[in-house]
Amino acid sequence: MENFIGNYQNSQNTYDEMFLNNDNYRNHYLNFINNFSKESLDNLNKKEELAKKLFMSQGITFTVYDSGEGIEKIFPFDIIPRILTASEWSFIEKGITQRLKALNLFLKDVYSNQFIIKDNIVPINVIYSCPHFLREMYNVQVLHDIYIHIAGIDLIRDYDGTFYVLEDNLRTPSGVSYMLENREITKRLFPDLIPQCGVKSVTEYPAILYRNLLALSPRAVSNPTIVLLSPGMYNSAYYEHTTLARLMGVELVEGRDLVVKDQKVFMKTTIGLQQVDVIYRRVDDDYLDPLVFNPNSVLGVAGLMGAYRKGNVAIVNAIGNGVADDKAVYTYVPDMIKYYLNEEPILKNVPTYQLSNPDELDFVFQNINKLVIKKTNGSGGYGMLMGHSASEQEITEYKAEILKDPRNFIAQPTISLSSAPCFINGKLAPRRIDLRPFALNGPDGISIVPGGLTRVALKEGSLVVNSSQGGGSKDTWVLTS
Amino acid sequence: MLSRVASSLYWLSRYVERSDGMLRMIKINYASSQDSIQEFTWRPIIKIFSSDDEHELLAIQHDSRAVIEYLLLNRENPNSILNIVTLARENARSVQEHIPKDLWQCLNEYYHTVKDPNLLWYVQKDDPITALDILIRQVMVYHGTSDSAMERGESRSFMKIGKHLERSIQSIDILDIKFSSISGNPDLLTDIAYWKHLLLSIGGYELYLKTYRQGFDVKNIIELVMLNDDFPRSALYSINNIDRYFSRLKSESNIVHYNNLSFKIGRLKSMITYSSVHTMEEQQLHQFLTEIRSELFGIGNLLNEYYFANS
Repeated sequence: MENFIGNYQNSQNTYDEMFLNNDNYRNHYLNFINNFSKESLDNLNKKEELAKKLFMSQGITFTVYDSGEGIEKIFPFDIIPRILTASEWSFIEKGITQRLKALNLFLKDVYSNQFIIKDNIVPINVIYSCPHFLREMYNVQVLHDIYIHIAGIDLIRDYDGTFYVLEDNLRTPSGVSYMLENREITKRLFPDLIPQCGVKSVTEYPAILYRNLLALSPRAVSNPTIVLLSPGMYNSAYYEHTTLARLMGVELVEGRDLVVKDQKVFMKTTIGLQQVDVIYRRVDDDYLDPLVFNPNSVLGVAGLMGAYRKGNVAIVNAIGNGVADDKAVYTYVPDMIKYYLNEEPILKNVPTYQLSNPDELDFVFQNINKLVIKKTNGSGGYGMLMGHSASEQEITEYKAEILKDPRNFIAQPTISLSSAPCFINGKLAPRRIDLRPFALNGPDGISIVPGGLTRVALKEGSLVVNSSQGGGSKDTWVLTS
Repeated sequence: MLSRVASSLYWLSRYVERSDGMLRMIKINYASSQDSIQEFTWRPIIKIFSSDDEHELLAIQHDSRAVIEYLLLNRENPNSILNIVTLARENARSVQEHIPKDLWQCLNEYYHTVKDPNLLWYVQKDDPITALDILIRQVMVYHGTSDSAMERGESRSFMKIGKHLERSIQSIDILDIKFSSISGNPDLLTDIAYWKHLLLSIGGYELYLKTYRQGFDVKNIIELVMLNDDFPRSALYSINNIDRYFSRLKSESNIVHYNNLSFKIGRLKSMITYSSVHTMEEQQLHQFLTEIRSELFGIGNLLNEYYFANS
């Protein structure tokens, strides 16, 4: 083991998931380390090679189009699992369940009575200025009042190990197939290790999701048609779409496979049209229906919104969820939890400054070096300004951008993110990580499969874990005890 | 089944079959190019498998490695194995949840094998047959996997129809080209190596020897390639299979569409079954083959219109 640790240096002011300090491991890693340290360096290098091969041969790749030729890339995978204790997990589980309940009530409210606005908990301009607040959803009857069926809430840990919610992904969160595949790969890399360490299984996810989708069918038929709507094979998450469709045994469709007739949705089959009851869509709101939203979209289905409004088809996640995971609305989630549930929030929010508020804007401009500035509707790590590392010019340009419309930006203090050991160039080295557990919400309640996607910033010192910015992933273990 | 899915299954199977036919033909041609055969040329192969730039290609017709590289790995050649396998894989990728995971992995591996730099090295510097054998083995694994893992149902029927349609078109093309070369060079009629080579390239050599004891005769060759129902690459065998797998789609079809197409397949089947070598004498062979080919294309077009919703 010593060989691999080398000079593993715990960054200052960072919570490391494995090392208590440079000489001692946290208890929940001991079992893993005892087994892991028996491996030779040579063997570990082989395992890393095997992991790459497995991803490649199974086609778990995304395609980068460069000079007309598609290049297959694998999403980088680190062979060392990230381990969470049973008590850490139960805290996360409670926190996410509470948060999801409140967010779901918020969506119901904001698209009907809007009590939360009338009671001055969330300012009206914050809601109405959000580009993802869709008036088309006003007073639409959503089955079982469930708006958020699938959520991927991103969690990070500050220097003292406290969990914070970084963002709520309530539209079409992705990455769950990597949670499933990473586990399968770990089983191949470290035989017997998972049962020895007592790791909870994640395989139930597709079965729970399928059961929830089945329960949403608006038609009372014994065998409703459930489809997964994908933008098609050129989408970077296409592998995930096929995996989920296969694991649930549902049809994978594209917009061109569907047609709306008499406000009902049908798919074109070899025998004729077949009515569709539930659509698990992985297409963004904006592209769903060219008649209502973006008229240039070819990924969606003309008339889909009409069929949805009429209640002839269920759509998962509901349309218009973007208003709840908007980064400006995010600030109010703790207030929502108090307002709707009369509970104290379990999971903390990262302190957030609204730049639409002149005082806060002033403060942010003066302390820009200590802050991260994000677009309220951005994702994938694009369009962010990391104040501590940005150049003078970048800051000046960004400030000008902000002043055009401050509502589109928020600022947060730089949270250091916890680190975990990664196997890099034959040594263990600390890299920053986050955690995205996947929560499923159905008529029977909220269930969260124990685990999730741990994303890791593979560049040394980097704080950005997004795959589009050089991030990778790890298997995520939740221990049974 | 979704129309788009049916279409992708059909095309993935056609492309794999096409690559298989090409690889075998290239292999035999290469072997005979090493076998000081009189006036050996890649011309017939180039004629079948390339759509454009025929002149440019004919310039390299005596340079085996260059031709093989062009047919196997040239990106600009829409019919190269590389491009065909890419298409097969892209089709498979878009219907991954309809084929067994093993089958998808076969095609994925086939694709990565074609792109492997080692393959190019074999073609350019070492033994090209090794490269061809590596690829042929990939197709064999595909066939084995699809036979043992593919569920018996609509999906498989579309794949089988695609495969046999492609195969019959290939057999007819090679027969046509080989016979049309004779008209300019009657000596070939009695050239044993010429006919042996034809039979080898579609894998019918051994069966021919077992069936016909009196050496090579043009009529026997036509009979084997067109009418022998035991020969898995004969036109009759293929059309029988198209008929067989199409009839399994009956319960999953619009009945009017089914009847129309069934009629067309039945007519073609009769046309081949109830013809004899005498009726397709050498002089009219080309005309006969052209007619059959156009019927086969007609079946493809109707499938497209009725089942793949591309009318």
